[in-house]
Amino acid sequence: MRVRAQLVARCVLGLVFVYAAWTKLAQPWERFALSVDSYRLLPEWGVIVVARALPWLELLLGLLLVAGWLLHYVAPLVTALLAGFWVAMLWAYLRGLGIDCGCFGIGQAVGPATLLRDALLVVLAGFVTLGAFRARRASSASAA
Amino acid sequence: MRTAFRLCVLLVLPALAALPAVAQQGKRFGALDAPITVEVFSDMQCPACATYHLETLRPLMKDYVATGKVFLIFRLTVNHRHSYRAARYMNAAALAGLFEKASEVLFEKQKLWSETGDVEAALAAGLTEVEMARIREQLDAQEIEQAIEADRALARTFQVRSTPTTFIRHRGETTPVVGVVSYAILRRYLDRLLEGSP
Repeated sequence: MRVRAQLVARCVLGLVFVYAAWTKLAQPWERFALSVDSYRLLPEWGVIVVARALPWLELLLGLLLVAGWLLHYVAPLVTALLAGFWVAMLWAYLRGLGIDCGCFGIGQAVGPATLLRDALLVVLAGFVTLGAFRARRASSASAA
Repeated sequence: MRTAFRLCVLLVLPALAALPAVAQQGKRFGALDAPITVEVFSDMQCPACATYHLETLRPLMKDYVATGKVFLIFRLTVNHRHSYRAARYMNAAALAGLFEKASEVLFEKQKLWSETGDVEAALAAGLTEVEMARIREQLDAQEIEQAIEADRALARTFQVRSTPTTFIRHRGETTPVVGVVSYAILRRYLDRLLEGSP
């Protein structure tokens, strides 16, 4: 039962990442850069690096999650990434910036709904990470 | 030769001086046939709008609007305590052909008049007596209230939920940008759009 739940969780998370990547890669990176810049957290070069690299990283992580490869590396990275997004969104929300979150393209305001959605994704990623480490421990114990 | 030079000085230079840096009509700037239209919803009392106006829109005006690449439209929303009063003065300034200068003055002195509500004193500190007289002349014009209401209605239509909100239009596609973005990043996006323009 737990194994099946793990499988569903990582596939859902993986597809969410692939979808998020697709919405960004379907438009010029300069358009996503506008969303990143509106957080007012990064210097110009940082905005450019994030806008160009993040969609590809999301795509790679999403595919790895769905495939279940290198899960004990991928899952903690995904958890950390989502937690980072959540902190940035909370910061923007508390400062009253009223900006778009930039999560899935344009048009989603940072607010309680997006914060709750991202928090749920962090929990889901944490669950997948826990499962990945349990599975790894179990396989090393059986190998020993 | 000397006569030709004098003629040039007498006729051409005053004509050049009379030309505005950017074609202005009310709260619209630039060439109507520019490939990109940028429509900005601001509130004169919103601090983020001041940052956006002074750090992003000012250079945009110089590099993109004055060069015919962008047609810039300002819309004023009234969400703060003294915003309505400021919007009245700004729309009067627009009728007097002084919107650009007046907006710079009010945004630069925003902290001052946001506390006191004395928009006129803040404007007077940055404009000449003649310019102030031109704005005062327009203050009671019927168009002021109509312009404020029109901007409000447009903000509702476009679902502007916070300021500044910018709509970048190019070839029938609209990109909404909510919040402040730096000029360096905005210009990269505009340049990308212009790459495909004739």
